[in-house]
Amino acid sequence: MQSSLLSVTQNDQRLNYRRRQAVNQVMLGLCGVAALIAILPLAWILLYVVQRGYGSLNLDFFTQLPTPVGVAGGGVFNAIVGSAMVVGLACLMAIPVSLIAAFYVYERPNTLLGTLIRFSTDVLSGVPSIIMGIFAYTVIVLTQGHFSALSGGFALAIIMTPIALRTTEEMLKLVPKTLREGSLALGAADWRTLLQVMLPAAISGVITGIMLGVARVAGEAAPMLFTAFGNPFFSAALDQPIATLPHQVYVYAISPYKDWQDKAWATALVLIALVLSLEVVARGVTSWQQRKLRGR
Amino acid sequence: MFSNKTASALVTIVALALMIVACGTPAAQTAAPVVQTVVVKETAAPVVQTAVVVQTAVPQIVTTTPGPQGPAAGSLAINGAGATFPFPLYSRWFYDYAFVDPSVKFNYQSIGSGGGIAQITAETVDFGASDAILNNDQYSKAPGIQMFPTVAGAVVPAYNLLGDDGKPITAILNLPSAAIADIFLAKITKWNAPVLQQANPEVKLPNKDIVVVHRSDGSGTTYIFTDYLSKISPEWKDKVGNATSVKWPTGLGGKGNEGVSGLVAQNDGAIGYVELAYAVTNKLPYAVPQNKAGKYIDPGKGPEGVQSAMNDFSTDLGDKLAVSIVNAPGEGSYPIAGYTYLLLYMDQQDCLKARKLVTFMNWALTDGTKDATDLQYVPLPDNVKKLVLDKAAKISCQGKPL
Repeated sequence: MQSSLLSVTQNDQRLNYRRRQAVNQVMLGLCGVAALIAILPLAWILLYVVQRGYGSLNLDFFTQLPTPVGVAGGGVFNAIVGSAMVVGLACLMAIPVSLIAAFYVYERPNTLLGTLIRFSTDVLSGVPSIIMGIFAYTVIVLTQGHFSALSGGFALAIIMTPIALRTTEEMLKLVPKTLREGSLALGAADWRTLLQVMLPAAISGVITGIMLGVARVAGEAAPMLFTAFGNPFFSAALDQPIATLPHQVYVYAISPYKDWQDKAWATALVLIALVLSLEVVARGVTSWQQRKLRGR
Repeated sequence: MFSNKTASALVTIVALALMIVACGTPAAQTAAPVVQTVVVKETAAPVVQTAVVVQTAVPQIVTTTPGPQGPAAGSLAINGAGATFPFPLYSRWFYDYAFVDPSVKFNYQSIGSGGGIAQITAETVDFGASDAILNNDQYSKAPGIQMFPTVAGAVVPAYNLLGDDGKPITAILNLPSAAIADIFLAKITKWNAPVLQQANPEVKLPNKDIVVVHRSDGSGTTYIFTDYLSKISPEWKDKVGNATSVKWPTGLGGKGNEGVSGLVAQNDGAIGYVELAYAVTNKLPYAVPQNKAGKYIDPGKGPEGVQSAMNDFSTDLGDKLAVSIVNAPGEGSYPIAGYTYLLLYMDQQDCLKARKLVTFMNWALTDGTKDATDLQYVPLPDNVKKLVLDKAAKISCQGKPL
């Protein structure tokens, strides 16, 4: 009697264990499927853009200027340079501001100014990018009387600032408090602690945040319409209209002509490849730096 | 933080791997684009010929222009914006003109007729461009503005219709003027309506609903089309009117010519108005509206129909050099046509730019007409051209003649 009872409970336990194992397997499988679904759009977009754009890519596409409809060949050299310039300008304007503001918010989170900065960046990051374009148009283009690379960089800087600011702040928060306390205890000043202890510890996250911002603004076409304006010729002047890759995609894509539509795909491919490689390089640099830091 | 990083690193690796895979097997995956490029070359064949002449004539300049040092010293940039309708032609003109006069670069951005008018009024560009004629309100905001016709073009009702045999109908359909306004007013809703079937005895029209497609954005093409409908239908004029965007009684809206033709291509039984160049390059079948004299003139056969419409009104251009040429009375006139205009201030601030602009206009209306014909635009008749160039010669700079 006793032994049979024991065997029944054992059997029960075994069944229970098998059931739990099965549930575990199913759930794990579902997680995998969900992860695949999450990656699918990215893979799909990349494959599709590569498939449509690959055929129009050649060396000339990177070194030549755009040609009008019906003239074979041509490239987007001016737009590559233009995008680099406008995004570079945006970085120059946005990164110092957002880093310093992030330091402030991190150091003084509960002051009036700190709350205000955090609140306004949250609001700012929700504002559609075309509004930034119109703002830059009103503030810079209308007052200067001409479209310019500068106004494009300004519009992108406003889009980039909240992203870089909030990521930097979050990354600083993740640095262990003890590190900061240790530095202060050794007699380092606040600024020194921030720049030489906190920032190096958080640098990879900060750079990721900046890269996210760069990736986001590098693909913006809407704010470019009324700021950088576009230019079929080569220009590297700050006060002149300049071509950018996303704007060039837009110009090509809405055209009625097949060869321009093909060039739109190729331009999109160049844009994606540039942003991706920039991201990979930045990640490589930060992981190399971190290894160096740990090695010391 | 760590798991976040790992996840994003994984995503990047997957993305890169996908790209490498995709690039590694170009034969299989680029098969379709390769075929498409061949098609492009065929359609662009007549256009390419002229381009070759330009390129062989000045090969050194072609290779030196994209140099990293930027525009040559003393190179002048003239910026303009506006209508999308003439954009292919203008981009061609400015590209070719950079070889004619390397000291000046014209940058034209197609932001729409409304945008062109707004930007020249705000003086953020050196010239504007519009298909729509400025109204009194717009003139009063920028009093010194002058319109200069450059070329004309035709707007056609493109359609997509499967016949009863299941095959698409590709004939150039006749569209009686009594029917066209009624279709866009939703009073004729079937393709086999008697008025349509009688006008097209050779084609058996199916018993299908007509799907009207129109522009959702403000557009010079809409301006020309509703101008025509207002001239032939008092009911349209009362109920809807004529503007760059109107309140459509029926139909689907598409953004830009590409949006309209996309909707037409997707919907069996659809009809929507697009520029002729658009219908021809995309091989969309179109219907021909009946002109005032009761004739059907196919604008795809040659420039004569639009030329005739311009000639019908060539003495009516007035001081602003702007006139509507829809519903022209001539026997051989195509009825839905319009000029496209450059917008310039008669008194310019920058004398060098003013001189270059006038020189360019002279070039565009003489040597540039070849480009226009290649791209399905219709050059100005001689008397209109003379009016335009005479007016351009009167452009002054800071109150003094150039």
